[in-house]
Amino acid sequence: MKKFQKTLVLALGNDILGDDGVAFHAARILSAEFPGSVDVMETGEAGLPLLDFLEPYTKALILDAAATGKCPAGTILRWDRDDFRRCVAPSQHAAGLPHILELAERLGMAFPGELQVVCMEVRDPTVFRETLTAEAEQALPAMVNMAREILTGWGCQD
Amino acid sequence: MDKTAQKVWNQAHQQANSGRRTVTIDPITRLEGHGKIEIFLNDQGNVDRAYLQIPELRGFEVFSQGRPAEDMPQITSRICGVCPTAHHMAAAKALDDLYGVKCHPVGRKIRELVYNAFMLEDHALHVYVLGGPDFIVGPDAPKEMRNIVGVIGKVGLDVGKRVISMRRRIREIINYAGGKVIHPVMGLPGGVAKGISASELPKFKEIAKDGLEFAKFTLQVFHDIVLRNDAYVKLITSDTFTHKTYYMGLVDKNNKVNFYDGDVRVVTPEGKEYAKFPIQKYLEHISEHVEPWSYIKFPFLKKVGWNGFVEGGSSGVYAVAPMARLNAADGMATPEAQKAYEEYFKVLGGKPVHHTLANHWARVVEMLQAAERIVELVNDPELTGKEFRTIPTKTPKIGVGVVEAPRGTLIHQYETDENGLIRRANLIVATLNNSARIAMSVDKAAKGLIKGGKVDDGLLNMVEMAFRAYDPCFGCATHTLPGEMPMIVTLRDMKGGVIREIRR
Repeated sequence: MKKFQKTLVLALGNDILGDDGVAFHAARILSAEFPGSVDVMETGEAGLPLLDFLEPYTKALILDAAATGKCPAGTILRWDRDDFRRCVAPSQHAAGLPHILELAERLGMAFPGELQVVCMEVRDPTVFRETLTAEAEQALPAMVNMAREILTGWGCQD
Repeated sequence: MDKTAQKVWNQAHQQANSGRRTVTIDPITRLEGHGKIEIFLNDQGNVDRAYLQIPELRGFEVFSQGRPAEDMPQITSRICGVCPTAHHMAAAKALDDLYGVKCHPVGRKIRELVYNAFMLEDHALHVYVLGGPDFIVGPDAPKEMRNIVGVIGKVGLDVGKRVISMRRRIREIINYAGGKVIHPVMGLPGGVAKGISASELPKFKEIAKDGLEFAKFTLQVFHDIVLRNDAYVKLITSDTFTHKTYYMGLVDKNNKVNFYDGDVRVVTPEGKEYAKFPIQKYLEHISEHVEPWSYIKFPFLKKVGWNGFVEGGSSGVYAVAPMARLNAADGMATPEAQKAYEEYFKVLGGKPVHHTLANHWARVVEMLQAAERIVELVNDPELTGKEFRTIPTKTPKIGVGVVEAPRGTLIHQYETDENGLIRRANLIVATLNNSARIAMSVDKAAKGLIKGGKVDDGLLNMVEMAFRAYDPCFGCATHTLPGEMPMIVTLRDMKGGVIREIRR
């Protein structure tokens, strides 16, 4: 498969479940800041279909919301490729990122060599609303900052 | 749920379950969203009662109020990242009904094409990724191997590549005709937003042909790995995974399985037709029961009545999903699927089949029908017609739409004011239709498999297997969530103290 030179920012979530859509908000800010060197995509999918998004890229930054319950809402969490090898992740309807990663490797598929995940801990992503809570709104700049640092470190031009 | 109600609920729950030991399985892996199974053990360490608890998404009705009805196919398709096409299509059909307009015949064929492509793709995903690992890798395999990676280890890399590639190609059809794979934008009252160009047909015909081969191949995989293994067949037909309930599914005018349209047909636990009705009359036939230990409601057959979580003809509990669809129909609508259907009932001892785990096999039979229907549709000269929508002219009021989602019957009902703005929206999703039977399955599996307080990974997985066979979807936020959240099983004594904790 032909590889894209650009970097992928892949936002995961659901924009009608309030803070679950926080990654989309971050992605739209980054899209405006990195107009030429980054492809920004938003999806409500998880598991296997993510391969379709990730496969053509050598570098990918995934943005998501998480409800681990292990830290205060608004905390920004970060994982890289190696972290996935050490964790057991639950997932919806398919494999989570660790399984996708392993699957891609076993099938000889080209998966991004550089992969980072930035998540915001959210409190309750189960209420229908189109706006963010104050907590998520307040933490959004920190999420964008972390993502920006990663993209800049990869040489993306803003 | 507000805080006061939650407090009352928690207190009631605590009172009801004091004096029991608790085993909690959370989260259930490989499902959409978080379910939680709580197993209460008595003094002998045997199961007193197992419950399934599901966090529900809240506020949908309020969220919908005041929105233009035409937005509903886009809004409802966002509820779940797993089955957006099912919600989109049920919503589009509800809009047809709301505006009193019959879908244009070309539009209907395009909708059907997209819908069958979705069914094929989604069923394939379940067979190979979600429920299949229990059988393909094996119910006693270590937890870390019961996933898509374990499946690839068992069936080989080439099959793995084929699954990934086929899925992607089928999605091309959905992507083209639906506008987008996720959150399709095609469905409008009276038809679709976009036609199909004749120049696309050669590619679609190729995908359709390969899709059918893939479905046949999947049936062969099921034969080779599951049906040839006596232990698996014994497990499928075991009493632990069996309930004799009513069954519900959509049928065409010949009483054959139809995923996109038809009347709702219900058969008795003996397989006799109990009811057949257009979806507009669903409230005459379906009611909902509420339990203090669960946020979700339990639909039942109104005229039979709610008599608890029990089987048989005097209990209104019914099932939807692949096995129920095959039971509720007199056959499949396409030839290869019909052959597979006949074999399915022959091997499993005739109609109806009551074995929950037979859902996996029924799913493969349905893959064949979806694939064959795609072949029929891409070879239909009308598919590329230039007209594909009938413009509605009537004033909207109430509309109901139904499809067979991969997980079972899905109903959308909208009521609007004269300007077409939503006053009320009600969805009965497939997992809700199945909720009473799922609860019964979890309870029965736990009772059959946990004895004398002995709990291990294999046994707990059997309980989960009962649950996973339904392919339940809790319409949850779709997360990859790479945090460390292993399954935790907690055994508690009568006072709620932890005896031991198993993490995996």
